Amino acid sequence: MTGPGPNAAKPNAAKPLSLRGLAKRYETADGRTIEALSPVDLEISPGEFLVVVGPSGCGKSTLLNILAGLTPPSAGEAWVGDIQVKGPDIDRGMVFQDYALFPWLDAVGNVEFGLERKRIPRHARREIAMRYLEMVGLADFAEKRPRELSGGMKQRVAIARTFATEPSIIFMDEPFGALDALTRSHLQHQLLRIWQQHRKTVVFITHSVVEAIYLADRIVLMTARPGRIKSALKVELAHPRDPTSDDFRSIERRVYADLDEELAKSFRMEDCGSNSPPTKI
Amino acid sequence: MTQASAPADGKWGGPAARRLRLTARLLPYLYAAVAVVAVWWAVVLIAKPHMSLLPSPLLTAQTFVQLMASGELPRDAAYSVCRVLAAWSLAALAAVPLGFAMGRWQRLERVLDPVVELFRPISPLAWIPLAILWFGIDEGGKIFVIFIGTFFPILLNTVAGAKNIDPVFIRAGRVLGCADDTSLFRKVVLPAALPQVIVGLRIAFGTGWAAIIAAELVAARSGLGYLISNGMEVLRSDFVLVGMVTIGVLGVLFDAIFRWVDRRYNWMSE
Repeated sequence: MTGPGPNAAKPNAAKPLSLRGLAKRYETADGRTIEALSPVDLEISPGEFLVVVGPSGCGKSTLLNILAGLTPPSAGEAWVGDIQVKGPDIDRGMVFQDYALFPWLDAVGNVEFGLERKRIPRHARREIAMRYLEMVGLADFAEKRPRELSGGMKQRVAIARTFATEPSIIFMDEPFGALDALTRSHLQHQLLRIWQQHRKTVVFITHSVVEAIYLADRIVLMTARPGRIKSALKVELAHPRDPTSDDFRSIERRVYADLDEELAKSFRMEDCGSNSPPTKI
Repeated sequence: MTQASAPADGKWGGPAARRLRLTARLLPYLYAAVAVVAVWWAVVLIAKPHMSLLPSPLLTAQTFVQLMASGELPRDAAYSVCRVLAAWSLAALAAVPLGFAMGRWQRLERVLDPVVELFRPISPLAWIPLAILWFGIDEGGKIFVIFIGTFFPILLNTVAGAKNIDPVFIRAGRVLGCADDTSLFRKVVLPAALPQVIVGLRIAFGTGWAAIIAAELVAARSGLGYLISNGMEVLRSDFVLVGMVTIGVLGVLFDAIFRWVDRRYNWMSE
């Protein structure tokens, strides 16, 4: 599993990602404007593993959907290398929280899906797909349908499916959010190994601070209403990282301190917004 | 019959095992047939109705053989089946594309839905008089009635199937290289909605099969419905019963074919 074979999809070099004043506003049915994402400026270097941490509803997924080209921004631009994001593209992969495996295809069929769209001939397609299934340790489950697989296995198939098309950047939307703690740490480890082999640019979203520190080159904190980027910090610990080490713990404390401050702020805002006094129970 | 208990998961191989599993699946039908014939015979033996009211199963079986041998029964059955197949295929050709369009384009659905809802509750049988006035008692009228009867189940199921696709499949399809609507339709929308479309086709065939008999009862010179209504007119209730049994057996047979198709092509089953 070192380097692509002769028939492999042409591997794309990791590309930088550049967000320039990216913002999103929604109009609600009663005519109010909701600012889901206030203007974001961010530079992500090629091959970087960037993790966005924030509470639920802070606009993390909105940001990712814009970057993947699934949602148009209200303002600003996103650039992958020298190409502006205008719509979805197979060069930008995405791993979804709920796996999004096609239930009518077996595991290998799911991995082949993107390869077929890239017009890779049938036999080469199968070979590449099998190699990527092997990479996530699921070669023996190639013929299984998604409903026969556990949550962790499904997400591994989804990861294989995304890496198999050799995108230059990969977006991951809380990919391990629905998994139990053991499966989750196993998959984090596996993902890091794959990322170290392939060196894709990764933008990974989570609400778990520990997960963020375990995976990230750089962590971006995001806060809610309006979603905006609060601070970024580099994690310079060597892999594999030990969540029980002092260095890990001290970074964890810093992230929580920053998040708490922001959370307190947004809760205060909510209290001011509602004029009714808090009800005593 | 001790070895008829095939395992529920059906994991056996080999032709012998397959034959055994088929037997196991057919057994309930066999029981049903035996029970019906037993009750029928008991009624005949106890109540002794006049032969033109309720002939014995034996006499009916003789008539069945006789009608088979004369070619009358195969001919009538073929007429009925072909009419349903023709109308059902036409309905599928019209309803499946329209259903996908309505399911994927909200605006079209908003416009057409009231029209569909208005026509849907009207039984296909209510169209028979108009069908006779418009098309006479030729094939056109019967095809028209069955078309009406099969169109709506196919349409409504296709609309539901196309509409209720989990949006995450659409998003996954788009990031995996389905850039245009055509490829997205072919690779994601169509397979995702297919199980529901098959359900619609199956239900429609059932309603079509019920409706053709009614249409032939009223106006036809051939078909199983004609065999039955003619049997009534000439006081041959054995003709009527042979027609009814044939309708039942063919109905079960077609449903079995649909279930087989469903098992093969429906990713939701089993």
